Amino acid sequence: MGLLSAQDEATLKQHLSVITTPVQLVLFTQTIGGSESGPVAKQILGELTGLNDKITLVEKSFVLDAEDRAKYRVDKAPAIVILSDDVDTRMRFYGAPTGYEFVGLVEAIIVAGTGKIELDPETMKWIQAVDKPTHIQVFSTPT
Amino acid sequence: MAAANQLITADAVEATEFMDLSRKYRVTGVPKTIVNETIEILGGLPEQDFVRAALELPDAQP
Repeated sequence: MGLLSAQDEATLKQHLSVITTPVQLVLFTQTIGGSESGPVAKQILGELTGLNDKITLVEKSFVLDAEDRAKYRVDKAPAIVILSDDVDTRMRFYGAPTGYEFVGLVEAIIVAGTGKIELDPETMKWIQAVDKPTHIQVFSTPT
Repeated sequence: MAAANQLITADAVEATEFMDLSRKYRVTGVPKTIVNETIEILGGLPEQDFVRAALELPDAQP
């Protein structure tokens, strides 16, 4: 049985219909010694990619695909790296994207797939003025 | 923010999955945001307040 209800799927499909650029979701999981959230993340992403042809799932092994892990600087699993037409958006999700994180994931996919950032013009100006590497980590829980 | 500037990386971390990190950054409530290992923002803030805090910009002039 799917994690998303038929109604959720219909709503999501409509939200995701604005996507014009292909989005790749690169999922790093660890089969041996990994947590149970790896398979959950895989199922969620599988259901999401089924809702829009422009979204694809790329599966990587956290252990075996060390080169990709280094390329995307992924240091823990499960990890989801969002690419916009194969270009890294530098948006990452660590852990199973359930609850609030799922909402964030959908929003990030829409940003990656449309190139549109819904921010106030003044805020945008401040962000674009950042001239040094900046690493933001947002901790949340599913509920 | 990451989408708007190539120098910015944004991670959403599930706090209960990565307990060692949650302990490291003393995540006692969510959302909690850590910027460059040093800046801590607890709770949700309006967009401009959040970006000001994350980028350590001076407060708005009255």
